[in-house]
Order: sequence, then structure tokens, then C-alpha cells
Amino acid sequence: MASVSFRDIRKSFGKVEVIHGIGFDITDGEFVVLVGPSGCGKSTLLRMLAGLEDISGGEIVIDGRVVNELESKDRDIAMVFQSYALYPHMTVRENMGFSLRLRNAEKATTDERVMRAAKILNLDQLLERYPRELSGGQRQRVAMGRAIVRDPKVFLFDEPLSNLDAKLRVAMRAEIKALHQRLKTTTVYVTHDQIEAMTMADRIVVMHDGIVEQIGTPLELFDKPGNLFVAQFIGSPAMNVLPGTLRRGSNGAYVEALGSRWPVPSTVSGNDGQAVSYGIRPGDLSLADAGVAAKVFVVEPTGAETELLLQVGDAQLTLVMHGRTTAQPDDTVHLAIAAAHAHVFDHASGQRLS
Amino acid sequence: MSGRFSWKKTSAEAQLLLIGIPVFLWTMIPVYHLFLFAISSKDSATSGRLWPKEPTLQNFGIVFREQHFYLNHFWLQLLNSVVIAVTVAVLTLFIATCAAFAISRLKLVGGRTVMNLALFTYFIPAAFLAVPMYKTMSVYGLLNSQWALILAMVTIASPYGIWVLKQASDKLPWELDEAARIDGASPLQLFRLVYVPLMMPSLVAVGTYSLLLAWNEYLYAFLLLSKDTDVTLAVALGNFLSADDSPWELLMATGFIYALPPAAIYYAFKRYMVSGLTAGAVKS
Repeated sequence: MASVSFRDIRKSFGKVEVIHGIGFDITDGEFVVLVGPSGCGKSTLLRMLAGLEDISGGEIVIDGRVVNELESKDRDIAMVFQSYALYPHMTVRENMGFSLRLRNAEKATTDERVMRAAKILNLDQLLERYPRELSGGQRQRVAMGRAIVRDPKVFLFDEPLSNLDAKLRVAMRAEIKALHQRLKTTTVYVTHDQIEAMTMADRIVVMHDGIVEQIGTPLELFDKPGNLFVAQFIGSPAMNVLPGTLRRGSNGAYVEALGSRWPVPSTVSGNDGQAVSYGIRPGDLSLADAGVAAKVFVVEPTGAETELLLQVGDAQLTLVMHGRTTAQPDDTVHLAIAAAHAHVFDHASGQRLS
Repeated sequence: MSGRFSWKKTSAEAQLLLIGIPVFLWTMIPVYHLFLFAISSKDSATSGRLWPKEPTLQNFGIVFREQHFYLNHFWLQLLNSVVIAVTVAVLTLFIATCAAFAISRLKLVGGRTVMNLALFTYFIPAAFLAVPMYKTMSVYGLLNSQWALILAMVTIASPYGIWVLKQASDKLPWELDEAARIDGASPLQLFRLVYVPLMMPSLVAVGTYSLLLAWNEYLYAFLLLSKDTDVTLAVALGNFLSADDSPWELLMATGFIYALPPAAIYYAFKRYMVSGLTAGAVKS
């Protein structure tokens, strides 16, 4: 187990810089998820940590030691790949024991550690099989087993669940989280799926275009997104965002948008007349007898919840409510807005005003 | 419905047969003639019959007991052929595998140039290079040594081997190398424990190719070797034609024997040449 630090990390491919100076620290035993849309540089950052890509600038520190010039094998890390990358000509046992074999570990030690990892992952019945004889989920577990056997300082996961079907993904998500709670090994996990990030992470690093947009616990990011990008990236369905103007009247502040007044938290900063983006999560809207008028566009019942697509002026809003509704398409409804949960961002910079 | 008569299926099979039968005949008729000669006595060899009146294995007996002027060193020459072909295959495999690994997996600087040069060697037919090769070998003092033929054949076979193995290497999932590197493999361990086992089908194909190339080579063997005890059986067979009254039936019997090992090798290694050994490595 170890801490990891990124210090002003930069990466260029030829003349194109894709990572523009990233710095943050991961504490010992923490589960950190790097999340962002494809092309944001999250995988590149992970591969630099793994030693699979050169570092163009800055320093990566594992357990107090700068590893920039260290080979992958000397960094004491283990990585689980999206494609599993199992050795097809080796059995599950050989795959899991490969790293120990390379270190000339004694056979008894190897057997014992492979067995222990296999038991943790329910692979003990499959040890003599070849990867081609396993299902996707089993292969994924072997890839994780290969990492566990090493007992490394840091686990790296590169979109490990992207090749699994939806149901298995949810199950494996829980398995990885449980595994981390059991082993408490520092983990860096890359995904483009914000739900994965939210459900698994101790802390999330949201990346976009080669920079860090925000770092925080899942609920911090959800409750107080630092900017518009994070606000729209985290949360599903995505936050409703309306262009508007901040007004400071005698009765407090509000945002004028789509011809209506939208309530804001009392803590909001910014000046009267400032152009802003007003954000409200679908779950923070509810149906009421009075309030902003909206026309129902589509009703999507999912059982426990109902999602309504609404038309307000020329903007579309999403509303998520618990239970069911009698609202029909083309009905006019009124919206109650949880003012304390509204978000206001500067229109030009996208930064949070609070 | 299964077993139902289907015009489409039948016509597809008919088309295949229409192509297959002529190709089969085309290939097999010379071989059949070879066999026919080999089991005929000297008098009836050219009778033109589809099956000899009195088929005999006597010719094979003469060959095996070296009971003819042209066959004095039959066993030695067969051994020469084996030794030379196997050595060529081993050397070619070693060179081509190392080159393909270095170029494809280690991304060696200048690898592209090597590949282009390898291809370039095939712009000139090997036959044109026979005399320059003879000259080269004489400079190195290798004439009349079997190493001359071995080195010449390795030179001819390697570029093709490098190309085939490089193409096959490129198809191996890159993540396997990365996983092995993280697991702690040095380049040599990566080569030995991951790369070579996964390349086995292609290695067998290239090995068989170079083995058969050397086994069947006549021109270079004829030029570079001269002593009767050094030459390969292919050259010895050629020597049959130096007389006006060649013993055809013995030539054909020897030729038949000479053709058996390649056929055996082909069938023995055929099953290794199927792809699919990498199944299960990565999700595709």
C-alpha cells in the first residue's frame, strides 16, 4: 500500500499536448476514480502511472519515490486492462502466478498466493481452465486475480467493466468495491461512466480536455459541482441548465430565465444583471399546484420512478419523481423548485457562483 | 427443414466440384505418372498403360540397397538433404522470429527500413543471384562446404519469413505485452514466455516453408556443392539426366521417396497452422 502523487504532469504526443499540468495526491488505501469523456486524458494519465507511457513533464511519486524513470516492473503496481489481456496459452493458475514466476518465487509460495486470490474471487474451481474456456465475467476476475496475487502497492484499473454486459457490470462493480474494502490497497480506477465513478470512489477526479475540472467525494461533486462541466457530467439524468440573468431584488436573489423567476440558494454570489447558467437537477424539480408552468412532452415510467420531459418556453427540462403520475403528454403542469439545491454558474466562465 | 433438397446448395456444390475435379486431376496426374514409373519394371515403364501388368517394388529395393551407379550414395545424400533442410529451417526461424519481435513488438528504430529492404530482395529473382552468391561463397572460402548452401538458402528464405512473422506479430494484442511488462517480464522473458508460444502457428508455417524450400532446392545446391558425398538428393536426381539411357524407373522411384517427407511434414504440421491460438486473450 502506498500514497501516489501527481505533480504538474504533462504529456505530449509529438507537438500536441494532451495533458496540461495535472497535480493531485492520493492517500494510502484510497479508491480514486478518474472519470471524464473519451479523449480527456484519463487513460493516458493512468498509463503514465503504470509506466506504459513516458512522462513529458512533471513528476509521479509512488510511496515517496519519484518513479518517472522507473520501468513498469519496478514500480510495484498491478493493472487490470479493459480487454483483460490474459495470456491465452496459460491456464488460469499460470496466468495468476505469472508475475511470481518471473520473480523466481518458490512454487509453494506461488501456489499458496494463487490459491488465496482464487478463493477471494471464487476462481478456485477454474484454475486449470484456459481463458478461452471462461465467460467474460470470469476472465475479468482472473485479470483481477492476477493483480491481487502480486500484492502490489497500487492497483490500476483501466475501464475494466466496459466489455461486460449491463447486469454483470453492476455485479462486478460491487465485487471490486468489496475487494477494495477487504484489501485496502490504494486503487486508481479509470472509467468514462459516471455511475461507476459515483458508486465506487472514495474520491473522484473529473477530467476534461487534459485538465482536472474538480476533485471531491462523489456527493461533494453531486451537491456542489465547481463548474458547469462537472455539473452536467455527474448525475443521471443530467442536470437541467438554462441560460438566464441573475437578479438581486429586495426579496433576495433569483434568476430570470425563460420568462420565469427561478429561485436560488441564499448563498449565491454574483452581481445583479450578470449573465448566468441556472442548473437544477431533475430530482430537485417536483410537480406542484402553482409555480413555473411547463408542458408535458413525454412521460417515461420506470416503475419506482417516473421521468417527465417538459417544455418550458423553448427549453426542455427533465423532471424525475418518485412514484407515478397522472400527467399526460400536452398537459400543463406547474413546477416546484428546491431552491436550496439550485446551482448558479457564471455564463462566460462556467464557474460556480456561491 | 433439414435434409430438404435445395437447388442453391446443390448448385454451389456442383460449382465447387467443377473447379475441384480439374484441379485435382491437374495436380495428381504427374504424381500418378511418377508412381506408375516407380512400380514398373524397366521394360514396361513407357508402355502407356494406366496400371502396369506386373507391378513391382523391385525399383525401391535397388534404391534402398544403392545398387546402381547413380545411387551409390543414396542414403548419404538423403541425410545431406535432411541436415541441410533442417538447419536452414532452424536458422531462418531464429533470424526471422528475432527480427519480427524486435520490429513489431519492441518497435525498433529503423524497423520499417528493414522491412522494406526485406521486400526489396524479392525484386530480383533468386536465379539471377546464383552466380553472385557463388562468387560470395568463394570469397568466404565456403565453396564445397554445405554451409554455403545453408547460408544461401537462409538468405533467400529469411526475408519472406520476416515479413510473414512481422504481419502475424502485429495481430497479437498489444495489451499482452503491456500486461507482461507490468508483471515484471524483461524483453527476453516476454519473447520466450509470451511471444513465441503465441506465434507458434506462424512459426510452424514459416519453418515448414523454409524446410521445404531448402529440401526442394536444385539450382543453388547444384552450383554450390560438387562432391557426390556432399550434394543433396535433389542434385543427385538431376545427375540421372546426364546419361542418354537414364534408368527412368529408378529416377522415379527415388523421386517418389524424395517427395514423401515433405508430404508427411505437411500433414504432421497442418493442425498447428490453424489460427485461433490467441482465442480468449482479449475481448474482440
